[in-house]
Amino acid sequence: MTAAVLTRVRRLPRLRPGRLGATVAGTVLAVAVLACLLAPVLWPLDQSAIDLSQTRLAPSAAHPAGTDDLGRDVLLRSIYGLRVSLLVGVFAALVAAVIGGAVGALAGTLGGWVDRILMRLVDTIAAMPHLLLGIFIVAMLRPSLGAVVLSVGLTHWLSTARIVRSELLSLRHRPFIDAAVSGGAGRMRVLTRHLLPHVLPRLALATTLMIPHAVWHETALSFLGLGLPPHLASLGNMINDGRGSLLAGAWWASLTPGLVLIVVTLALAALTAHWRDHLDPRVRAELQL
Amino acid sequence: MSRTTGVRLAAGTALLLALVACSSPTNPSGAPADAPLIVATAGEPDTLNPVLNYGVDGAALIFDGLVSRDERNHLVPALARELPTVSDDGKSITARLRDGVLFHDGTPLTARDVVFTYQAVLDEKVDSTLRSDLDMLASVTAPDDTTVVFTLRYAYAPFLQRLTLGIVPAAAFDGQDVNKAAFNRQPIGTGPYRVTSWTPGDRLVLAANDRYWGGRPTNSGVVVAFVPDDNVRAQRTRAGEFDAAELPPKLASGFDTQAGYRVHKTPTADYRGVMLPMGNPVTGDVAVRRALNVAVDRAAMVNGVLGGAGEPAYGPVPPSSEFAEPAVAGAPTADPAAATALLDAAGWRPGPDGIRVKNGTRAAFSLMYPAADSLRKELALAVTADAKKIGIAVTPEGLTWDAITPRMGSDALIMGYGTPYDPDFVSYKLFHSDFAGQGFFNPGSYASEVTDRALRDGRAEADPARRKAAYATFQRQLATDVPWVFLTYLEHTYVVRDSVNGVVPRVEPHEHDVANSIWWNINTWTRRS
Amino acid sequence: MTAPTRARRRRRTGAGRMIRNRLLVAVPVLFATSAGMFALGAASPIDPAQQYAGAAAFTTSEENLAQIRANWGIDDPLPVQYLRWLGNLLRGDLGWSTSRHEPVADVLAARAGWTLLLVGAALVVVLLASLLLGTLAAYRRGGWFDRALRTTAYAIQSVPSFWLGLAAIALFALSLGWLPAGGLTDITATSTDVADVARHLILPVGVLAVSQLPWFVLFIRDSVADSLRDDHVLAARARGLPGRTVLFGHALRTGLLPFLTLIGTHLPELVGGAVLVETVFSLPGLGAVTVQAALGSDFPLLAATTLATTVVVLAANLGTDLAYAAADPRVRLE
Repeated sequence: MTAAVLTRVRRLPRLRPGRLGATVAGTVLAVAVLACLLAPVLWPLDQSAIDLSQTRLAPSAAHPAGTDDLGRDVLLRSIYGLRVSLLVGVFAALVAAVIGGAVGALAGTLGGWVDRILMRLVDTIAAMPHLLLGIFIVAMLRPSLGAVVLSVGLTHWLSTARIVRSELLSLRHRPFIDAAVSGGAGRMRVLTRHLLPHVLPRLALATTLMIPHAVWHETALSFLGLGLPPHLASLGNMINDGRGSLLAGAWWASLTPGLVLIVVTLALAALTAHWRDHLDPRVRAELQL
Repeated sequence: MSRTTGVRLAAGTALLLALVACSSPTNPSGAPADAPLIVATAGEPDTLNPVLNYGVDGAALIFDGLVSRDERNHLVPALARELPTVSDDGKSITARLRDGVLFHDGTPLTARDVVFTYQAVLDEKVDSTLRSDLDMLASVTAPDDTTVVFTLRYAYAPFLQRLTLGIVPAAAFDGQDVNKAAFNRQPIGTGPYRVTSWTPGDRLVLAANDRYWGGRPTNSGVVVAFVPDDNVRAQRTRAGEFDAAELPPKLASGFDTQAGYRVHKTPTADYRGVMLPMGNPVTGDVAVRRALNVAVDRAAMVNGVLGGAGEPAYGPVPPSSEFAEPAVAGAPTADPAAATALLDAAGWRPGPDGIRVKNGTRAAFSLMYPAADSLRKELALAVTADAKKIGIAVTPEGLTWDAITPRMGSDALIMGYGTPYDPDFVSYKLFHSDFAGQGFFNPGSYASEVTDRALRDGRAEADPARRKAAYATFQRQLATDVPWVFLTYLEHTYVVRDSVNGVVPRVEPHEHDVANSIWWNINTWTRRS
Repeated sequence: MTAPTRARRRRRTGAGRMIRNRLLVAVPVLFATSAGMFALGAASPIDPAQQYAGAAAFTTSEENLAQIRANWGIDDPLPVQYLRWLGNLLRGDLGWSTSRHEPVADVLAARAGWTLLLVGAALVVVLLASLLLGTLAAYRRGGWFDRALRTTAYAIQSVPSFWLGLAAIALFALSLGWLPAGGLTDITATSTDVADVARHLILPVGVLAVSQLPWFVLFIRDSVADSLRDDHVLAARARGLPGRTVLFGHALRTGLLPFLTLIGTHLPELVGGAVLVETVFSLPGLGAVTVQAALGSDFPLLAATTLATTVVVLAANLGTDLAYAAADPRVRLE
């Protein structure tokens, strides 16, 4: 029995390395997303409910990840927190990717004065610390889910725009583009058929990396009292709340949302890495060498 | 990415967290006995000028008022030779100054300095919020160098309690704008300590004033460290950096079992409660307010939310005050049966979803709390849970203050304040109908003729027995009308090193930072080496 | 005159023109930023007088607050306020900070140095570490080092930086007792001693650097890995040049290009990280007051800090663009 398991474990790494990581990551993500989708149906949660007779219980069968300061189930709130944080992360990253991708593509392909004006605009906004701008946006819109999404999205498109532009700029003078242009391909065609496939992986990578960053931003806003209303379960709020419990010995209140955050982020990153390797034929060529 | 890396990572994180949880102090006090005492607090003053609201309730370390307070918060003379005398009509107060008091720069204190200090507060060009507290003061004059006469617009019984304000030297402000004077960062006072340096965001370094009129401090100086984040302050306390630190109860409780430290829970007049606006159709109904008042489980809040550091509150006058009316105290635990009976009798009947309804109005309202204040958040959730049990749907909303203020007339709010010195302070403006709807003064527009009259009698009457009677009436009327559901009085918790002698906790007001904390008498503290 | 010298001179005059153009652009950008800050602040619903009163707002009457607002002149129309601020600025007066209760110049003088030191030191650590780690990971792409590095980078990226800070305090200050848990100098110190400050800055700089490292490392790794497959690098390899020369001389040089733009864009990010790190380690830097100013609608302080950061970032951008041009001959200086 043990021997069999061992052989199987030893055989695993012989699979294509990318495949295994991607499978694990995919499974983790699928479970996480499924839990997020099903939670409201299977385990409804009253966000404002507390139970002062059940505070800081260690993990048990009834509460697999224990309870927090106010007697709320940590695992259930972590799932709801993940829901909210993923929502914030994905939407904010999408907002950022759309704005950043559009601005970067415009600047990188059109060049000239369009490029100059757009890049000065980016410079101007980029010169202010994101967190500060984010605080301003949330302070004006008043803390809420939408305000946090906008605050993160509107402050994080700059790097995406620059990356897309610089990638396009460095591609512009590559021989295969020259070949395509001299072959009579139109601007749109060069952009969509030749430039986009090269830029997309990096755009995707930037977007993926932005999801945890968006969650980070949400946490930082919570830290300053400007995130989601603090009694709602979000990973940021929970990690913040749990800090106090940590010193009082209730490590599970902070550890569980923290682990959920790390595991999901890692899975997301692994999956994008795999996807990119898949997209880029030259990488596959290298792997076969 | 393999599964093993994930596992290793999780294990690493767990290890790190475990270290946080069970780490022990590494450097127990090895400080020599004559080293300065080090205290840590969250609240850094914006300025060190009493005129601009620094340490106005005394114990300001750098300054003295005409009077100060002893360990029972009774007034004792300070810069005044004896307690100032009040004229028969209550409108004229005369203070005679102590002889031979020197400011830190060596100049002698005169009546001119006292007059300057109070006139600066009254000056409209000076950005002082203290002016609101001294609206009874018409003028202040100095007939001679050692006498100060305060003239009031109307008789105001607790006026002597306002004389704890620190006195500043007039000469230091010659030809300067009080708002922008260098004095505000490098102040000169008469107090037991003089300022060596102030690094905003880091620390305030004070050195003993050897010429202090009240006797030279028993230690060489005080360093006040400013650490706004509670968890960071707790960690640095654990690392052994501080002789005394203010910590929230749940973080302080970790030091109960730690050798070398004592946890002090000081009683306060610092209350938390739910302001219920009259302009809301649900909270405007006195039956709902009374039902909520008996439905909240104050004992559970004290234990669960405050970690035991507090006591149930039933009104704005703390039990430690001589003006407290014991009759208003109810049961510390919830009485849902009595609450539902009140609601039933008033016609609030349970609807299909369990929430009560009366004449088509659902028993539902929003309860706002400042989002940055985790204690008020937890109290809001506790009230929400208790209200649900009697069929009232409360929606907690965590907001910023600028979002809260415009809604205070129609939505409930977790509020908190309180000073132990006189029942007139705060309460007059909070519950008198003259101030209905004026910002934080009576935001719920509560109006009762009985309350108004009692409050007015309380400030006008000089006779202590009649004042006590007036405030007893006031407290009973509040308990009947329930414009607020008072929840708890906090206990401020401090962690103090065992080797420090002379700690005498006294009842504290809401505000406690550099001034007016457990270290109010730090000039008499000593350290065993 | 030989051809290479002529090319070099052309590049030099190109650089001069670039600097001049950038300066011309910088002035409107600075105007726009400061005016934008005022406009944002004016649109904000926060009452600075209430913020100023703090807890005393509870006992302060509306007339009292209105009088304070009038003293400050913050009820004046926005253009009036902005022009007044601009006029004072030209006379060298940065104005009065309503949230800090002191001249803006004093706030900057007392605090900007510490933030610059923190951010600067962290940036140096980040640059050195990311160049080294990223290049090594790219060289053995897919190897155990690469995988471990990437896993760690993603993991760190998902941990909030104040968490890292608290964990670092728990480990190095509480458990091991090697380093102080916070503050700028020993709490009993009477003067600012260089060695003492350096010892206190190790943890904050380390935490800030580590929290910012992932982006830099991942990008260096990707860029170098990509350029290792570039034609000229493959050619260099084919010519039989030693691996180290190819890696650091050719691949890294090409891979540096996107990285250079990254430094400029990440400066404000570093400042944002510094806000939280300063909070965790109770450092008296600019970060905490800037947040306070934002929350309290303190226009003068906000405009000044924004202006200061903008100047620093524009200078950094100019520097990276010049470096970009130097590193990649394909980019023309305009």
